[in-house]
Order: sequence, then structure tokens, then C-alpha cells
Amino acid sequence: MNEARKTQHTLAMTIALISWAMLFATLFMGYAIYRSSANVWPPMGFARISLVLPTISTILILISSWFCYQMKLDINRGQVAPAQKNLNLTLALGFAFLVTQTLLWRNMNHSGVYVSSGIFASIMHAFTWIHAAHVLAALVFLVYLYFQFKRHAGNADALWMKTENGEKFWHFLGIIWILMYFILFVF
Amino acid sequence: MSGGFNEIHQEPTTFISKYVFSFDHKVIAKQFLWYGILFLGIGGIMALLIRWTLAYPGQPFPVLGPLLFPDSAGVVPPDTYAMLFTMHGTIMIFYAITPILIGAFGNYCIPLMIGARDMAFPTLNMLSFWLALVSGLLVIVSLFTPLGAAAGGWTSYPTLSTMIGSPGSGQTLWCLAIFVLGASSTMGAVNYITTVITLRAPGMGYFDMPLTIWGLWLTAILNAIFIPVLGAGVILLTLDRVAGTTFFLAGAAATSGSGDPVLFQHVFWIFGHPEVYILILPAWGIVSDLLSFFARKPAFGAKATALAMTAVTVLSTLVYGHHMFTTQMSPLLTQSFMTLTMTISIPSAIFFANWLGTIWKGSIRFHSPMLFSLGVVFVFGLGGLTGLYLGTVTTDLYLHDTYFVVGHFHYTMAASVLLGGFAGTYFWFPKMFGKMMNECMAKIHFWGTMIPLNGIFFGMMMVGYGGMHRRIYNPFIYESLRRLIPINEMITISAILMGAFQIVFVINFIYSLCKGEKASQNPWEVGTLEWTIPSPPVHHNYDVIPTVKCGPHEFGNPKLTNGRDFQYQTEDLVV
Repeated sequence: MNEARKTQHTLAMTIALISWAMLFATLFMGYAIYRSSANVWPPMGFARISLVLPTISTILILISSWFCYQMKLDINRGQVAPAQKNLNLTLALGFAFLVTQTLLWRNMNHSGVYVSSGIFASIMHAFTWIHAAHVLAALVFLVYLYFQFKRHAGNADALWMKTENGEKFWHFLGIIWILMYFILFVF
Repeated sequence: MSGGFNEIHQEPTTFISKYVFSFDHKVIAKQFLWYGILFLGIGGIMALLIRWTLAYPGQPFPVLGPLLFPDSAGVVPPDTYAMLFTMHGTIMIFYAITPILIGAFGNYCIPLMIGARDMAFPTLNMLSFWLALVSGLLVIVSLFTPLGAAAGGWTSYPTLSTMIGSPGSGQTLWCLAIFVLGASSTMGAVNYITTVITLRAPGMGYFDMPLTIWGLWLTAILNAIFIPVLGAGVILLTLDRVAGTTFFLAGAAATSGSGDPVLFQHVFWIFGHPEVYILILPAWGIVSDLLSFFARKPAFGAKATALAMTAVTVLSTLVYGHHMFTTQMSPLLTQSFMTLTMTISIPSAIFFANWLGTIWKGSIRFHSPMLFSLGVVFVFGLGGLTGLYLGTVTTDLYLHDTYFVVGHFHYTMAASVLLGGFAGTYFWFPKMFGKMMNECMAKIHFWGTMIPLNGIFFGMMMVGYGGMHRRIYNPFIYESLRRLIPINEMITISAILMGAFQIVFVINFIYSLCKGEKASQNPWEVGTLEWTIPSPPVHHNYDVIPTVKCGPHEFGNPKLTNGRDFQYQTEDLVV
């Protein structure tokens, strides 16, 4: 791919990620205000959310990010077949992440943290929904990439831009999740 | 990083690919223009309904009233009045000004004025327009929902905008429409920023860019950073409405646990104050160029103007709290926000003085784009100066939520931007359509807009200073405000006049499209890159990417010997 075109794509994706970061930064700002203005956190009547499922989610998304990075390295080296394997693993772990998120929402409901149970429950549900919606969108893109890999099996150059942008977005969502994990669940 | 990837796209051959799902920035610009003009008309009619209600409370709106409100014999009902001012603000800001100033001029001017063949991402550009169209449809649909459209003001503060304040689906559709439009604007912003950075013609440094491009580029930067902030706010508001969350519910409204309605105000204005500059920066840029073009003089302090606009852009991100002085924020915060707000006066004064310096002793050509540009100088001066009273805590406490605020922001956000938009339309119409607009009708349009416009917005500031609050269906139930009825009648008559004179513009536009005089390549005799190619330009703009050798405002050089008083940007500077 033309170097100038690569520069354009890298720049555009970076700007887009800054925009997305502002969306999540606004959510975190809101969280900081709610939490700092509360007398106790979680509020009276709520227990902390168990760390088991969020921790599993964190591990899954971290490992998926590593495979996603390997996929990009393979494409940079012009090796589509190993990149395909790493893409498959990223996809599998991404879907597993969404499964753990679904279990997390079910567990929260079972323990009485319904979405309408006040600001603590609203935050726990809504922030994870918004993140999961982005993960779902990213997975749809990675599925599209899967078919692109099949189509351009011998032409890594044709796949460079989509792989690069998909990888950046996937890492971004990983970073956002890790921030959520520590801010919402651990501290 | 200039002189990047500039491929020639194959010219579309079918009607659908050429005019509907087009990748061409020039066609997308025109699509945004039609879209914006349509919504400008809808928002304008809403304004007339609002004004009629304030001047003649309880009387049926002529002609349209009985058709629109048969149950009240043509009188605007109170709940509809709240929907009207909400949707008027929403439509004018997001669906009229934004698509015209940013969508139309941004798309049309950026590639042409920087010497590129198209935007960096034509597909993303097309998608941006179609998403905007989806958003526009959502807004239109919201007008026809059973309980009516959103009615909590264009700021949609909770609890007015929650299910308690605004039951029904109108407000929910408003939130969705704003979110979708935000996605569209962010796509546009990513495209604009990347295009300006990577596709400038060889030789074009940042300070060789026309100031129009500076304005559009800075706007795109603000859009990319702050639209997502509003996006987050409306997502949470939507969840409060449909999913049972309690982010912005408090007290009895929150069935369990308490959210914070004021937090939405913070989120809204973190976006909302930059939004003011998002709207006005393109107009500033256009006017900065046009004043120089029609004064036949180099733009006075062009670099300083660009840097001053950049400084305003940066400062605009730090001052949002002045919209919230009455929300019991601490005096330390109010003073900080007030001080930061006042500092915006410094760069604003710099480029305003530069505008005056540009026209000082110029050989001014009073063509319609120049008249509208001078109009911007006047109304922005008034709007800017009256903003000082609202940025100062002590005076804002008195003026907050009065019609003084409405008059002020209409001077800055509506009048300046509207006149700037007209200046741009008259100026680039020949390039866009290859025809000249009728100059006589354009001048009638200018004076027919400029005089009533001041009647409206200055009148608003007068009644606001007199104590009349905004958003009240019938302020004259308060005896103390009845003395303001005559001024309100004057404002409404001015609004009707201004509305009527817009018909002249529409007639001129359609007449010129059909029967206008054919435009030459460079009818205004200016040197920026778009005027070096035919009117209208060919599909790929430039057969050969131009090389830039001088700035965009090279006028009146006494050493020029070729019978012209200007130089093209592609020519070596005559010294």
C-alpha cells in the first residue's frame, strides 16, 4: 500500500480513537462525580460486585489483544495464513469476553443490582453495556476481516489497512475495559 | 505532510452514483446545502410561530394556524409552544447551520482550496451525509409522535427531558437523532482534519492556507473532541428514559437512589460552549478571506488572525461554566470561569481589529458577498460585546434566562453565522453551479435581512434587559411585563419582514440556477486555488495537482505588471 495512504489511515484512526476516548472519558468523569459525592460506595444496601467474572473478562481481553497484535505483525511480514489463525483466536476470545459480560449482568441481577436500583446499579450496567456494544461492533468488523482474509489470502498488502485499524480499535477497547475493571470493580 | 495520496476516482455515469450515492465532495457539499436550506425553512417557520405567540398572545396564527392547530382555532397551544422553541433551536443549530457551514462549505471548499482531488476518505464522506439524513428523518418523525416532539429546550436539561418532564417518544427520538448526527459529524471531522493535514498541495504551508480552511479545520478539531461528550450525555439520558437508569433523576423522580440532574448540564456545556465556536469558526474564516478579497488588500495580520482563531479554539474548551453561574457553583469556580471567559476577548479583539485593518483604506468592491461579510463584522461585534455581560457573574445573575441571552446568542450564533453563510453562498455559487447569482436581488436580500435582523435581536436584548424571561408561553400575564408588548410586536414584525425577504433569496437561487449569467473561471478576481480551474470544476478538480508559491491574499502589489491587482497562489510572488 502507498505510504502516503498508510499515513492517512493511521492519522484518521488516531483522531477517531481520540473521539471515542472522549466519550468514555465523559462517562468516567460522571462516575468520579457520583462516587465522590456519595457518602459510602457502594451505597447502603449494595454489596461490591464479585471480581471473578470481571477478572476473567480482563484476562480474556488481554490475551485477545496479544493475538490481535500478533495478527498485525504477521500481516506486516506478509504472512496471511498465520495472521488468519491469530484472527480466529482473537475472535473466539472476543466472543468469550461478551459471554462473560452477559454472565456478569445476570449475576448482578441475581444479587439485586437491577439496572433501575439506583445510581450504583445504573453505572455498573450502563457503562458495561456501552463498552460491550463497542466490543460487539468491533467483533462484527473482525468477522468482516475474517472474510477479507479468505478473499485476499495471498495479498497481505491489501489487508494492511483494515488489519491495522481493526487492531488499533481492539487494543483501545481492551484499554477501556482495563480502566473500567480497576475503576468500577477493584477500587 | 502535504502532497499526500491524491488518486483520480472514476467519474460516475449513472444518475444514482452521480447525484444520490455520490463520493464526490462537490456533490456531497450540495446535498448538505439542500438539506440545510430545507431545515432552515422549517426552523424559520417555527421561529415565526414563536414570535407570533409572543406578540399577539391568544390570537390565531394567520393562514397556517387553523391548519396546524385546528383544536385551538389556529392559536399555538402552550405545550406546542414549548415544543416549538425546543425544536426551533435544535433544528437551526444542528440541522441548518451545521450542514450549511460545515457540511456544505467544508466539503466544497476544503479539497478545492488546498489543491486536492477529493477528501481523504470519499466513502466516509458519503456515509457522513447519509447518517445526517437518517438523523434528520428521526427529528422530523419526532414532530408527529402522539405526545409531540421534545419540549425541554434545545439544551434538554433533566428533569425536563426525563420521562417525568417529557413523556412519550418525542424526546427519546431527539436523543437518538442527536447521537446519530454526532456520529455523522465525527466522521466528517476525522475526514476534514486528515484531508487538511495530508492533502495540501505541494508548497502550501499551514499559513498559506486560506483562512476559510483554518476556520473549517479548527471547527473539525473541536467537533472530533467534543461531540462525543454530548454523545455520552445523550446515551445516558436515553437510558434514563428507556432502560430505567437514574443518572439524571433526583429526589422523588428517582425511585431508588439518586442521580444528578446538574451533571447533564456540565456534560452539555462541556460540549455546548465549544459548539458555539464550532458553528462560528467557519463563518469567521470565510469573512476573514472575503474582506481581503473585496477590499483588494492583503488580509491584515493573516497569521495573527489564524493564531487568534486557534487561541479562541483552545480557550473555548475552558469556559463552559459561565453557562451555569446560577447552579450554585462555588464562588471560586464562578470567578475562575469568568476570568477564563474574559480572556477570550483578547484573541477575539485581535482578529476583529485585523478585520478592520483589512478593510482600512481598501479599494472596497461592494458586491453581495462583501456586504454580507461587513454585516458579519457588525453583528458579531454587537454579539461579542453583549457576551461580556453574560460572562460576568454579577450581571449574568440578573440577565440569566432572560431574552437578553436569547438576543446575544442569536447575534453571535444565528446572525453572524447566517450572514456568513449567505456571504459564502453568494461567493462560491458561481464555482458550484457555473452561474452568477443576480446581484440586484442579492443586495435587496442583504438589506431586507440586515435591517429586520437587528430589529429582532436588538429588540430581544431590550426586552430581556427589561426583565422578560425566555421560554414563557405568555409573559404578559405578569403586569410588569405588559409595557414590553409594543417592543415584542416590533420584533415580530421584523421577523415577518426578514422571513419575507428570504423569499427573494430563494427566487434568486432558483432563477440563477436556471437562467443565471454564465460564470467565468474567476468572476471575483481572487487568487486562491479554486479560481484557477473552470466553473464548475471537473469531476477530479485538478488535472495536475497545483504547486503553491504564495499566500491566498496577494492583492494590490504595485509591482504587478500584467493588468491584474492580484496573484494566483500558483504564481511566484512578484517582488
